[in-house]
Formats: sequence, structure tokens, C-alpha cells
Amino acid sequence: MSASWLLRRLALILYTVFIVSVLVFGITQALPADAAVTLLGENATAEALNAIRERLGLGDPIWWQYLRWVGHAATGDFGLSMRTGQPVGPEMLTALGRSLLLAVAAILVMLVIAVPLGMVAAVRQGKLADMATGLISYLGVSFPEFVTATLLAMLLADTLQWLPATGYVSPLEDFGGAVRHLALPVLTASLILVAHVARMVRSETLDVLHSDYIRAARLKGLPERTVLVRHALRNALLPVVTIVALDVGYLLGGIIVIEEIFAIPGIGRQLMVAVTARDLPSIQAGALIMSATYAVANTLADVAYAVLDKRIRYD
Amino acid sequence: MTDLLRRLMRTPQGAIGLILLAVLAAACLFGPWLAPHDPEKMDFLGRFRPLGAQNWFGADQFGRDVLSRLLVGARSTLPMALAATLLGTVAGAVVGTASAYLGGRWDEAIMRTIDAVMAVPGLLLALLLVSTLGNGAGNAMIAIAVTFAPGMARVTRAVALTVRGQDYVKSATVRGERASWIIFREMLPNVMAPVVIEATIRVSFAVMLFATLSFLGLGAQPPASEWGLMVAEARQYVHQAPWILIAPSLAIAMTAIAFNLLGDGLRDAMNPRDER
Amino acid sequence: MTAVLSLRDYTLDYLTGSRPLRVLQDISLDIAPGEVLGLVGESGSGKSTLAWAIMRHLPKNARELSGSIRLGDTDLRSLPPRELTRIRGRRIGMVFQDPSTALNPTLTVGRQVTETLVTNRGLTRRAAWDLALELLGHVELRNPEALMRRYPHEISGGEKQRILIATAFGCRPELIVFDEPTTALDVITGARILDLFARLRAETGVAALYISHDLALVSRVADRVAVMKKGRLVEEAPAASIFARPAHEETRKLVAAVPRPENRLVHDRPGERVLLAAEAVSVRYARPRLFRPPPPPATHAVGFDIKAGEILGIVGESGSGKSSIARALTGLADFSGGIRFDGRPIASARDMDGAYRRAVQIVFQHPDGSLNPRQTVGEILSRPLKLFGTGQANLSAEIGRLLEQVRLPAAYATRWPHQLSGGEKQRVAIARAFAAKPSLVICDEITAPLDVSVQASIIELLLSLRAETGAAYLFITHDINLIRQIAHRIAVMRRGELVDLLPIDAVDADHVHPYTRDLMAASPTPVG
Repeated sequence: MSASWLLRRLALILYTVFIVSVLVFGITQALPADAAVTLLGENATAEALNAIRERLGLGDPIWWQYLRWVGHAATGDFGLSMRTGQPVGPEMLTALGRSLLLAVAAILVMLVIAVPLGMVAAVRQGKLADMATGLISYLGVSFPEFVTATLLAMLLADTLQWLPATGYVSPLEDFGGAVRHLALPVLTASLILVAHVARMVRSETLDVLHSDYIRAARLKGLPERTVLVRHALRNALLPVVTIVALDVGYLLGGIIVIEEIFAIPGIGRQLMVAVTARDLPSIQAGALIMSATYAVANTLADVAYAVLDKRIRYD
Repeated sequence: MTDLLRRLMRTPQGAIGLILLAVLAAACLFGPWLAPHDPEKMDFLGRFRPLGAQNWFGADQFGRDVLSRLLVGARSTLPMALAATLLGTVAGAVVGTASAYLGGRWDEAIMRTIDAVMAVPGLLLALLLVSTLGNGAGNAMIAIAVTFAPGMARVTRAVALTVRGQDYVKSATVRGERASWIIFREMLPNVMAPVVIEATIRVSFAVMLFATLSFLGLGAQPPASEWGLMVAEARQYVHQAPWILIAPSLAIAMTAIAFNLLGDGLRDAMNPRDER
Repeated sequence: MTAVLSLRDYTLDYLTGSRPLRVLQDISLDIAPGEVLGLVGESGSGKSTLAWAIMRHLPKNARELSGSIRLGDTDLRSLPPRELTRIRGRRIGMVFQDPSTALNPTLTVGRQVTETLVTNRGLTRRAAWDLALELLGHVELRNPEALMRRYPHEISGGEKQRILIATAFGCRPELIVFDEPTTALDVITGARILDLFARLRAETGVAALYISHDLALVSRVADRVAVMKKGRLVEEAPAASIFARPAHEETRKLVAAVPRPENRLVHDRPGERVLLAAEAVSVRYARPRLFRPPPPPATHAVGFDIKAGEILGIVGESGSGKSSIARALTGLADFSGGIRFDGRPIASARDMDGAYRRAVQIVFQHPDGSLNPRQTVGEILSRPLKLFGTGQANLSAEIGRLLEQVRLPAAYATRWPHQLSGGEKQRVAIARAFAAKPSLVICDEITAPLDVSVQASIIELLLSLRAETGAAYLFITHDINLIRQIAHRIAVMRRGELVDLLPIDAVDADHVHPYTRDLMAASPTPVG
């Protein structure tokens, strides 16, 4: 890994954020909503509407509006929410914190379940454990989050009454409560990922187990434990970094639904509220922050992979 | 084609997938005739009637027959998901092939841009698009198609580049074949198979995405019996009648499973080396 | 004295689909202490399966029907897995075909060598590290300390194979199985590995089973040679006599197929007319890019000419730029410099018109990739016919004639590529090239992936086609003995440059480039 490689990765993030900002701005600008009307209501006078259009710069050319928006966004200023009148930036960042808590917890839970599952399936290829994993994978990827969420809530919250069905508690105030409230959302979010990642881990592990160097390690007389732990495990886990990073995008999408269902005031729910209210600055801020988070996560994964995998020389 | 079907039936995934799809296709084509009741007919005496002889899958909060609604609802889910995938695949394939064909800096620029667009989570992009285009099934379909296009472009380009590097394509270039021959006769048949497999698996994502948008109130609108919408409406009656929630949930999952299985089956069946 | 390794009536099946496939049939062989037994056979003869059977590492669908495998006094077949782990490495070592895949890419070389020594010699880590340094030094690796800290991708294939061989010998086993240890290496590197093998064996007196498809090579390194065919051991003889007096038909076939430079297959002289001249051709692949150092040119100012009907051989190791020349001449790679064809200048791929495309044909190395898997043989052959002449009317007759020309039945026109064997696919590719009635055919390593006997028949076919059509060949290969049989002149390439261009009878002369001399010396002619 060289400095120029890192530099190029960095340039790529910037380009990604640029494209995403154009995309988000472009789509939201096409929204069939007049910001002035949204702000003041249907009954506002023409003068008042014009005044607010003037103040928001809605009459300016579109590229100028874009540059102004990006310029402010770069400093963390996403404007005022049309719904609440509060600054959007801080609100979204607080929400992002809650969503990241949910996302990170989901990824951790997923790794704890999916990695051993995939590995056991690979080592015991064709046996019962393998077939069970295959079945779980098929079922897992076929249930969208809203179905999993409603079914799990029905079972664990309504019928068995083990967990609260909705709500959010900050872990800083009440850790136990936070865990109980996050349990269902985390479980839901990790389920599709478990299915996908377990399948990938299985196929990566199989590739490694069938590789020449594993055969060579066995024929050198190394004990099976050493072969599996020292030689196979590490190499099979490396690509998982990339797989998980790619799944973060899927996870972030799923979080929109999950937060909506479990009433967690994260960035996904903020976005849904904004979309319903046609609150332009909030939609723009939420979409941009979410996408930038994903782009950064992907780059971090690439860097981690480059550090871990000695084979790849980035120049 | 019949040959492919025969090979598909020989793989367990392909066989199960095809059978499930046959059921779904029957529901799409003959749903209204197969339905034992009128899906819109309300029956206030039969509200939340449990599973039984009268309503096989029970009745909902208005006493409507759940099975009938599912059968009729297949029409508002499956064709939309298929159309969205088809649209997205064609658009993506055109961009991907063009990128691979242009090569060099153009290819680099197109692919970096596609990577950037893919940084927007799929559901978020669909959400933004639907909120701009307006709620409704047709707009949801277009949004899903747009969401799928970058991913399909990437897959198509990767496959096209691999195929372009094959010696039989070089051989055609060397003997001075026209570009159209090389693209349509030498490359396309070999690019098709992986793209079709990928698209098949993506139909299951489209089904889920479409249902999700409807669930969020952005896709199909009431009183349509779209499955995602049915789940959304059933949520508040979980206590009285869990079956009106479970039935459409399972219908969505079954459809997704069917296309996943079919995709995996196709992967095995379309590999010409596996014939012996 | 008892044998180190002894097999008696060993029979093995693979369970495939409907019925079992016999892979090994009544194999009996002995290897005496200190003896090297060479095992030769074509692909599919069962020689590799025999190695896996001895190492007790058989695929799941293998069924051992009868017979015994004994290592000294130990019956290997009856050992439980735990005991086997103690036998492997410690009493039987193994050296693999491809050193680049036999080492774990994410562990340092030192760690992999020492862990083997710790396991098999019962040493402490420290002692194992010191021993590893000594072993690596002993196999002529420079600066073992630095080497031990590197990862496998940071060292060359030859170095890797030396390390693996040093480790195998360092565990002091009774027997080492060598599975084609030089096949994946360059000719000169492979020759040095063979020297190393001979030296270590003489020093340690370890018995060895040396598996190879190359009868000539095996007869040089082994004391005795065993020949396998379709799962049976058909002949066993001292290495010194097997070439001179092959008893079994299969052995005779193998002996006949071994290319011998002194056995010239081409006796005519080419014409004087220059067909194609390459003038200072340089091929570059990637463009220089921002933040990246420009890649080195794949070839640098290479110049040569080919006369009408001539066979010009281009030899060199992998990465020497031989294939880049083929790509430039066919317009597949951008090049600078110029080509002159029939006196006409060609500055770039754009100047290659229909006449040039027709006259210059190429056959690629891998028959699997060179035929479109979704076209039948007939469709594949019909394209050049349509492009380069013959009317539509007698198309199927023409296809039949082409197939006959390459000794394939005309009925093959309806077959799909995956229904053909490797040699048959290569014949179709040759037929496709000759459909254009070319005056120059570029053969890019076309015999490399084929068995020797198939290789010999392809060469025979090419020579008879040349006799019929008078085409010239640009024959790219790394097989020195083969090219010395057929070429009129040989061009030697190294690191993108042409170091020598010699008439065939001058390759052993004194004035050749030192690299050419090394190359010739690394491909000794078969004994006997």
C-alpha cells in the first residue's frame, strides 16, 4: 500500500460524494413541491411567498443553488427544516449516531452468527450442518426487513412479551433498557445479513480448503487443528471484510424500514418523516449523510483489506 | 430452450424454483378465476374469521377472504417486479456493454460514476425517486428499475470484459470481422447467460423492494391487494388475527425464494461444461 | 534389504455418476532405499492418483478395492488419520508441481518452513529457525535471513521451489514424492532445480518417487522408470535402457513422441522472398497514468523477417515478450515500429486490410478458449470461409474438406466444442486458420497444454499442411528440443529483447549469446 494508492482512494471518496450530492440535489429539486408553499402553507399571500422565495434564493439558477447548498453542507450547514424550523445538520447527526449504534450492533451480531455458521458449513460440506446453513441462507435472503420485523415483533413482543415492541432508549442513560429496546431491531437487521454473509463465508472457506497450500500443509504433516486455524481461517476471513462492507449499503437501506417499524429516531426514520412531509433540506441532508457514511465504510474496508492481506500490493 | 428446461429440472433448486414459479404464474394469470371469493367483498359478520373451510386462509378486518386477496394480489406484485428487473437489466446491460466496448478513460469514468451512484443505498434511492415521481405502483416500478441499473451495468461490464479477452473473440478480430458481428454473434451469446442468472436472482430483490415501498405507503395504494400493503394494513390487527399478517408475508418470501432457487438452478444448468 | 515403499496389487475406483471408473489397476511396485523411481504417463494415466494414494490423501469419491501400500514395515492403508499425520512430512515428504500455490500466501516463508520443522523434527521454534537458515543456505539461496521474513508473493517461483525442496529434505523422511516439480518453472530454472535434486539426493540417500509426463527428463533423474497407461503399470525398466529398448507399445509411443533435435522433421530450405519483416517493433500495454509509474514495454525494438514457406521459431521464457510479437503482428496489441508484408508497409493495426488478415492467421495456446462455446464446429469454420472466398453453395462441402484436412471426421461439423478433446479442439482451431488459405500462420505455444503424443501428432499435421499449402510458420514455444526439430531459424527472446537470431545449425556454435547457450544447455537431449 503506497501513499499514491491512499491518495487515489481519497480522491475516489470525494468523487463519490460529489456524484451523490448531484444525484440527491437533482432528484430533490425535481420534487413537485414548492418550498415556499410547503413552508407557509396553501393560504399564504403572494407577497409572503415571493419574499420567502427571495430569501431562500429559489429564483437563482439551478447550478448556483447547488453550489450554495454544497458549500454550506461542507461546513455542516444543511439549512433549516421546513417542518420544525430547526437546523437540519445537528438533528441529522444525532439521528445518525443512533442509527450507527443500531448498524454496528447488527454487524457484530451478524459476524458472531454468520462466520462460524459459514465455516462449519464449509468444513462439514454436504453434511447436515451444511444443509441447515443452506436452508437458513435461502430463507434469510427471501424475507424483506419489514416482514421479518413484523413477524419477530409479533412473536417476541406481542405473543411472548419478552421484548418491548417499539421505542428507543439511549444506552448512556439506561444500558439495560437500551439493550432490550435494540434487541428486536438488531435481530431484524442482522438476519438478512447473516443469510448472505454465511453463504459467502462458506464459499470462501471452501475455496481456501480446496486450495493447494492447504493440501500442502496437510501433507507436510501439520495437525488438522493447525491447518484449519493457522492456515485456513485467516485466509477465508480476509474477503469477509469486503463482503461486509458491501452489505453495509444494504443494511443502511434496511435501517430505514426497521427504524420506521420500531419507532427508533434514527436517520432512517428522520428521512421517512422528511419524505412524507416533503421537507427538502432534511431529505437532502439525510440522503447525503447516509450515502457518505456508506462510501467511507467501503473505503475503510478497502484499507483494512490492504493492511491485512499481504498479497496485494497497491501502487 | 427445451433442452435448458430439462437440465433445469434436473437440478433440485431449479426444479423446486420452477414448481413454485408455476404456482405464482397461475395466480398471476388466473388469480381472479381461481379465487374462491370476491377479494373486495366485505363481510362484517366474518371479520377476523380464522382459517377454516369457509376462508381457507382466514378473513381480514373487513371480512374479506385472505386467500382470494393473495391470489388477485399476485398480479399487482409479480408483473411489477419482473418489469422493473427487465427495465433495469436492459438499461444496465446497455451501459455496461458500452463501457466495456469503449474501454480506456471512458470506461474508467463510467465505472467510477456507477460506483458512486451505488453508494446510495438501494432503498434510499428508490425512496427519493418515488417521492419525486409521486406515490404509486408504476412510479415504484420505475424507481426500482433505476435502482437496479447501476448494479446490472457493473455485472454486464465485468462479464463483457472477460468475454472480450477470450481467444475466440481475438480470433474474430484477427480475421477482420465487423464490430457488429463480434458484439452480437461472438460476445453477446456468451455474455447473456451470466446476466440472465443475475437478473433472475434480482427479481427476488425487486419483489421485496416493491413490497417494501408499498409497505411504506409509497408503492401500491389501498384498496389494492398488493402483498406488502396487505402486511402494512394487517399490522394493527396482529392480536386479533395473526394470519392476515402471516399469509402475505409468506407469499412474498415464497416468491423471493422461487426466484433465488431458479437463479441458482440456471447457474448450474447454463454452464455448458456440466453437461456430461 | 526391505523396500522403503512397496505396493502390492493396488486397485482403486472413482465413483462418478452412474458407474465406478477404474483409475488404478493391480499396481505393484517397490522403491529400494536410496533409489529414485521415475513414474511416467500421459494425463489421465493415473500417476497423480497413485501419488495421492501413497500420501493417503484421496478424494472422497475414491474407493480402494484391494492391495496394500507399505512404507517400510508400516501398512499405510490401515493407519487412522491421527497416525497418518505423524507419517506425513516425517516419513514421507512431498514436493508439488506449482510452488506458487503450495505456500500459504498470508504467512511468511520463515514461519511456514519452521512450523514444518517444529512438527516433524520435534525442534523448538528457535532451533527450527536456525536449522531453516542452514537448509536455505544449503540450497544456494542468497541471504536466507531476509528470505525467511518475506511473503511467498515477494520471491520467485524458483526460490519457492528451492525452499519447498529444502524443507522436504530437512525433515529427513525415508521417501519423498516429487509431483512434476519443474513443470511450472522456466526451462533454465527447472534445470537448476533438477541439479539441486540430484545433489541433495546424493548427499542424503533419500528414496524418491519422481512423477512426470516427460520421459526424457525422468530417464535422466531416475534409477528406474515405470510407465503407466490407463491405470496400469505397463513397463518397468532401468532408466539407462528404457530409451534404447522400450518393450511396451506405450513406452515406444512415448519414446517416439519425445522431440529430439538431431531428428530433423523438416528438410527443405525456405524461399528467398521475404514474406513479412518486422522492423523495430515495440509493444506497450498500459498507458502511463497519474500517480503510477509507466509499465515497461513488453517488447523493445524487435526486428526479424520471415521468408515464404519458412518456419521461424521464437523461443524464450514466460514474460520474455514472445506472445507480444504475435499480438502485434495480428493487430491485437498496439505497437510502434513497422511491419512490411509482401513489400507493403504496415504502420498500425488500421493498415491491416482484408488481404493481410487473410494471409496472416493465428492459432492460440489454449484450445478451450479459442473456440466459441456457443457455436458448433461447422459454424466456427464457416466464418473464415464466408469472409475469405468460396461461394455459399459448397460451404458444407468445404467444411468437410477442412475437417478432413486436419484428420477429423466430417461429421464433427455438428459437434460443440465441449464435446471435443483438447487435441481435437486444437485441430479445429488449425482448420479455422487454414480455411483462409494463409501464407503465414502464427502458432502461439499451441502444443504446450497437450500430452506429448498428441503434441507429436499436431506437429505432424502442421508439417503436412505446410507441404500442401506452402504456408510459413512463426512458431512460438518454450520447448527447445521441439523447435530444433522443425525450425529453419530460431529467434531467442529475453526480457522483451531479441538477443539472437540464428540459423538452426548455428545454435550450438561458439558465437551465440550467453543466454542462448544457457537455454540450449537447460534442454539436454534425451539419453540413449
